[in-house]
Formats: sequence, structure tokens, C-alpha cells
Amino acid sequence: MKDRKEKITVWELFFSRDIGIEIKACLYYCCILAYYFIFRIIRGSLDASIIHMIEMICATYIIGYLQFYVMANFDEEDEFSWKTVVYSLLCSFIYMVVAVFCKWYDGMFFVNAGFFAFMEFCYLSYFFIYRMKKRIDTRILNHELREFQERSKK
Amino acid sequence: MKYTINQITSGEDEAILNYIEMNEEVARIVAFFKSDSKKIIGWKDKIQIVIRPEEILYIESVDGRTFAYTEQDVYKVNFTLAQLEELLKDISFYRCSKSMIMNIDRVANLKSLSSNRIDAVMQNGEHIMISRTYATEFRRILRGEH
Repeated sequence: MKDRKEKITVWELFFSRDIGIEIKACLYYCCILAYYFIFRIIRGSLDASIIHMIEMICATYIIGYLQFYVMANFDEEDEFSWKTVVYSLLCSFIYMVVAVFCKWYDGMFFVNAGFFAFMEFCYLSYFFIYRMKKRIDTRILNHELREFQERSKK
Repeated sequence: MKYTINQITSGEDEAILNYIEMNEEVARIVAFFKSDSKKIIGWKDKIQIVIRPEEILYIESVDGRTFAYTEQDVYKVNFTLAQLEELLKDISFYRCSKSMIMNIDRVANLKSLSSNRIDAVMQNGEHIMISRTYATEFRRILRGEH
């Protein structure tokens, strides 16, 4: 019974971790798609390559796992630090390398460089959005705490 | 709410509350009556100390033993966490983890962390981490929705 309980706990741990990586993968997949679609439209095409899109989602998953297992679980919800900058640059660079290798942007240098900058912008944006969210939440929590303490004094 | 105060010359001090409906105001008065009668016996260096709940910052269970932390000291308490949770439920105490009950009235400020966790800074500067599991209920209590 105890072994069965421990197995379930390990499974739940794995599952919850996996969900977090999947959510991140979807987030960055949307960003990559946005850049890719704009590129395709500017090039005069309304078509998108399914192969490219499959490569993109695979890349976001792999980089998500890399973030967790290799980059010390680098998370956009954590406090901003030098690690934020280093790891986000690294991830953006990896995305750019994959884009060049898979020819998402027809090997165009400036487009690939723009893609690197765009992904870095996405990473930093998510950091600042989460930071703002936490600050607002902190303010709300403390306001509610004061009200609770006032109520309990009465 | 109407109230009457009479000074008597004999007998014991007694407060009687007549109510038609148990509303928030009545419930607070009842909680006050109950809290005033609640005292916790703690032990420090084999000396028995009477602790008022409002003096307690938090209560922690470690290796099957329960300790009550005030600003100045730590006292061993001969209750389980579940028993204390039941005893203190009408006052501002909240079970913030499997092994801890905190006094919300003694929280200095709160900080929102990643993954919906909350860092509660107590009045003595100590930090108590409220995990995601307990944070949702904690927020409801703060809003008075509990």
C-alpha cells in the first residue's frame, strides 16, 4: 500500500512538471507562429508549411525540457536576475539555430537575426508581465490582510 | 445592537448574549467570548506557562511534537496540530501547511510568489511559505468568504 502511494506521488510529480513545460511550449509556439506568419505574409504568401509548424512545436517542447533539466529550471515567473538574461539569450539563440537549420525563414540572415531578437523580447516580456502580476497581487493581498486584521480587531 | 451594562454587588461576572439570528456581528461577539476563555498551556524548561492565543505568531509540528512560537519564546504544547486547529478555529488562526498553523493577526505583510504561493512575513520578521494548495483557501479567508 505504501509503495503504491509512493508510485502515485512520483507520477503526480512528473505529470505536474510536464504540464508546466507544455504550457510554456504552447506560449512560445504562439510567438513563433506570429513571427512566421508575418514573415510569410510579407513574402506574399498566405500558406504555411505544416512541416515547419511541426518543427516549431517540437522545438518549443525540447527547449522547454532543456530549460527545466539543463538550465536549472529557469522559469519566467522567477525573480529577474543575470540568470534571466543569460538563459533567455541562450534559449533565443537555440531557437534561431533551429530556424536556420530547418530553413523557416529561407536562410535570410536579417530575418533570422530578427527572430533571435524577437524571441528574446518574448522571454523578457513574459518576465516583466509576471513581475507586474506579482506586484499587483502583492498589493491586493496586503490590502485584504489589513482589512481582515481590522475586522478581527472589532 | 442594543446593549445593557449592569454593575452588581454580588455573584460572578457574566455576559449573556440574546440573539435572533447568528449574523456576522453576533458571530464576532461569540468568537470574542470564546477566545477570551481560551488559554493554551505551554512548557519551557519544565516550567508551565499560560499563553494567550493572541501572543502566538505560529504553531509548528516537528517530529510529532507541537511548538507555539511567540515573539520572545518557543513553547512546547501538549496538543496535536489538529486539536489546536479545532480549538483556535474561531480566532484568526489558519492552517497554512501540513505542519503549521499561523496567526493571521500577527502577519506583518504578504508577498506574492511564483506558482501562486504566498510568502507571509510575521511580526518578528520570520517568513512562512504558504504553498499553492493552501494559498487559495487563505485568500478566501482574507476576503471574508470563508
